[in-house]
Amino acid sequence: MYPWNHRTVMVTALLALAGVAGCAQQETPERSRGPDPLQMTPEAYAEYLVFESGSFRLDQPVQEGGDARQRMEQDEIQRLCSETRNRPPADVAARIVRIARESIRYPEGGIQLGDWRKGAELARSGYGYRVGHRNDDPDRTAGGNCYACHQMDPDELGYGNLGPSLTNYGELRGQGESVRRFVYEMIYNPHAYFPCTNMPRFGVNDFLSEESISHIMAYLLDPESPVNPGIEPGEGERRGL
Amino acid sequence: MLRRLLWYSILLSGLACVPAAASDSPYLTKRQQLMMLAESNPAELTLWKGEELFHEKRGPKNASLEACDFGLGPGVLEGAYVQMPRYFEDAGRVMDLESRIIYCMKTLQGFTEEDAPIARKHSSTTHTADLVALYTYIASQSDGMKWDPPMDHPMERLTRDAGEVLFYRRAGKMDFGCVSCHSEQRKRIRLSYLPSVHQPAEWAKAISWPAYRIGHGVVRSSQHRVRGCYWQMRQAGLNFGSEASIAILSFWTDQARGHVATLPDLKR
Repeated sequence: MYPWNHRTVMVTALLALAGVAGCAQQETPERSRGPDPLQMTPEAYAEYLVFESGSFRLDQPVQEGGDARQRMEQDEIQRLCSETRNRPPADVAARIVRIARESIRYPEGGIQLGDWRKGAELARSGYGYRVGHRNDDPDRTAGGNCYACHQMDPDELGYGNLGPSLTNYGELRGQGESVRRFVYEMIYNPHAYFPCTNMPRFGVNDFLSEESISHIMAYLLDPESPVNPGIEPGEGERRGL
Repeated sequence: MLRRLLWYSILLSGLACVPAAASDSPYLTKRQQLMMLAESNPAELTLWKGEELFHEKRGPKNASLEACDFGLGPGVLEGAYVQMPRYFEDAGRVMDLESRIIYCMKTLQGFTEEDAPIARKHSSTTHTADLVALYTYIASQSDGMKWDPPMDHPMERLTRDAGEVLFYRRAGKMDFGCVSCHSEQRKRIRLSYLPSVHQPAEWAKAISWPAYRIGHGVVRSSQHRVRGCYWQMRQAGLNFGSEASIAILSFWTDQARGHVATLPDLKR
């Protein structure tokens, strides 16, 4: 037998009280467990909701290894953009650009263009890394889903407009070293140029492989790609390119 | 066939003076065809099933849901849904309509979480979930009314405010938050116009769930919508009726305040 100490008596009394309270209602209020939210700021309560309330399936395995908890943990850019609601003041924007620039890793052997035909498929595919009630197959290549937000091949009518049109991107800019470098960086981590942009960081987040990025870049820049059907004479000058 | 043709010709002739045509919201006007079809919304079948289920004596306690309090008193359905989510003293938490129906199925009818009427949260093309049917019927009793979620209880306000934080919270493998798709008017994903949280008229239509989703062939709920958003965002799976889901619903309903609900709605 364990001797009754102060703590045991307290716990027993609390349990008895909780039992009485439980009898008074048909269902024990869920809020009686855990901390009192009314003592929290909305920001603290939101974090509690994400990580402590059981609202999300945090223990579910994810395609990249580990579990879904890491999907919910914010890195610095995610946090800063959330806090400033995607409108960072100048000093925060400068910090984001600096973090983004430092994050970019380049392929060994330089930035090469891959196969635009494979890029065309990847630009249309929205597959990959979804978890929850249904899980995407990790063995199937993830797509960049470019058409969700950008116009590319002018014959593809199902394009979104959250981002700018990329039709004739290579036609207007060529395929030189500086263009390839910029396009690679925009796909890898676009916050290096547009702090708090809506565009995902396909490289930093390991969403697209180096190879997939090279195919999508070819789709954008290759003169043979349907993204570059050509322009009317003088259009480049009118657009300042 | 003739009757249907007649209907279409009446609808077409009336098209020029449909009020939404005056709107400059592409989310509303580009869905003109949907509004035409809404005359025969298949969600009505789900609604009728829900009406029967609501009055039927069911479960271990052999009781109907007629005594369920959706916030305006036991059995009062008219206008109840547009005034949710709401804090319920008996449950000690903020609930949306779907959570409240489950609460009453447990307390009044004696069903448990494992029983099919509660366990089955969503419909398939071959089976309409009881929960969806009940939700459609009860929500339809607020059709045409203005969204007006209560903000009297401190938990209602905190839940709404945390929902706003979650709306802007970017995370996951694509850095998305709700804000990524729903903060600007005239934006599309592929061909679908997106509703903006800052445009109350289109937002009020957008949050009008239940809706028959043409692409799914069944009626879907707000819980189904918000789950799909988190899935597409590549964040963690969102649990049905969870506190976080209700926080988001609380914020999104508050953003539609004062604007008319279409219940049930018809969506792409």
